[in-house]
Amino acid sequence: MFTIAFREFRSLFTSIRSILIIIVLFGVTVGAARLVRQFEEQLQELGLGQDAYAMGLMLLLILASPLFVTSIAHNVVNKEIADRTIRFLATKTTRNRIIFGKFIGHFLFWSICLTVALLLIVPFSKSFAILDLLQAIIFVSYFIGWTLFLSTSITKPALTMFLGITLSIALPILGLWSTGTDNWFIKIVGYLTPYFYYTQGDDSYYAYLVVIFPIIFILGSLLIFRKRDL
Amino acid sequence: MEAMQTYNLTKTYGNKTVVDHINLSVKKGTIFGFLGKNGAGKSTFINMITGLIHPTSGSFEILGHPAGKLKDIQQAIGVLPDYSTFYDDFTALDHLKYFSKLLHVPFSKQELIAILERVGLEDAIHVKAKNFSFGMKKKLGIAQALINQPEILFLDEPTSGVDANAVLNIHSIIDEIAAKGTTIFLTSHNLNEVEKLCDEIAIMNQGVIQKQGNMKQLRDQFSQEIIIHIQHRMITEEEQQQLKTGLCELTDKLEIDETNSEIVVSANGRIPQVNKWFVQHDIDVFRLEVDEPSLEEIFLQLE
Repeated sequence: MFTIAFREFRSLFTSIRSILIIIVLFGVTVGAARLVRQFEEQLQELGLGQDAYAMGLMLLLILASPLFVTSIAHNVVNKEIADRTIRFLATKTTRNRIIFGKFIGHFLFWSICLTVALLLIVPFSKSFAILDLLQAIIFVSYFIGWTLFLSTSITKPALTMFLGITLSIALPILGLWSTGTDNWFIKIVGYLTPYFYYTQGDDSYYAYLVVIFPIIFILGSLLIFRKRDL
Repeated sequence: MEAMQTYNLTKTYGNKTVVDHINLSVKKGTIFGFLGKNGAGKSTFINMITGLIHPTSGSFEILGHPAGKLKDIQQAIGVLPDYSTFYDDFTALDHLKYFSKLLHVPFSKQELIAILERVGLEDAIHVKAKNFSFGMKKKLGIAQALINQPEILFLDEPTSGVDANAVLNIHSIIDEIAAKGTTIFLTSHNLNEVEKLCDEIAIMNQGVIQKQGNMKQLRDQFSQEIIIHIQHRMITEEEQQQLKTGLCELTDKLEIDETNSEIVVSANGRIPQVNKWFVQHDIDVFRLEVDEPSLEEIFLQLE
């Protein structure tokens, strides 16, 4: 399991797409923190305080993390099936370990990226926003699990790429829309996205409930992958 | 002891039955050849045994481990799948390191290099797989199948698409591994290869095993006559008459060449008697060639 996780983790740090995402992530985080420092007093008056430094990162994650995660993980399983490299894995380890390994690899990649991004803010904020980090990791985990599920359910990488991008654009729109509408359908969809839980106020623990979703996505992926002929 | 045993193993896709209630047992330490046309169900059968495909019904055991004990089975087998690509960003050595870690096999770097050298990849140890030819990928496929020193080795078309030298090398590897007691389950389109290497052969067609046995048993089933070509000195018409009369008692078929120097007889296992007849009648025999049916002929008779 950790062999596969480490392989995923390593390959993510060497892919051009991942490197570009890391640059954007770090760039936006530092840029936003610099901007916040210029308006520090005004933001303090508004009661945003130290939280404002991590706002750039959180905003970026809320709007773009589905796209970021999808673009690098849409084919995490089905590419191995399409290329048939999965045959080497599935004859050497269990399918559960393959799925867990894939998830852990991507989870570690994003956890490290987000930790480093928040560390870059420390010189500006003079503190490390551990709760923001935790929430950011949970938020991204939703999309890692979701992408893993998509990649396990659909065998064609081109189709998961298309679906992934489409849903990455649709989900934030639907999720944020659901927070301000009375349309019951949009509201139900909203409950299935992390956006509802992340907009329930700073002091609520709703955001931590989102951790249930990646667990469901992983279990769904396991169920499908264990039954799939390779 | 049986290395592998299947019980009514079946795989269907929709209405099509690809593998149909196969009961097969493979003895430990043998090289078992699995033959069949494209689409006969050979690869599907191997893929079920190696855990890549789920059987629709039936079950199997590998070295006494039931199908559900996948972890035990994985530790005991090596698999070269029918068609596989490798990770473009990995070198040959990276692949072996990765796969040996997955199997929890504590191999040193030198040991892994030795495996690569054994399959003829000594010049490609640090070359990335994206630069590999088809033949090199096949060799790497064999190398990865050997890393856990398997008790049973499944080789699906190990020599297809590789050059003649590589074929010889692969044959010598198979012989070497088999000599150590490893059971080898081999599928191939190269009938000469199967005939040369295998102790036992099963011929599969449309999902069922049509024939099974060693070469002698298969020959006995498919050819009632053994043809002997005999080259002898020129004989007179009188001797020719004697030959016809004499050999008619021993054979059903007698063809005498126009030059009177070669005859073809169907001996049905009476080779010593035929030979003795020539000696008794003082006709020098220069060459006696037994023409037994090849596996290819047997295979073609099944079609």
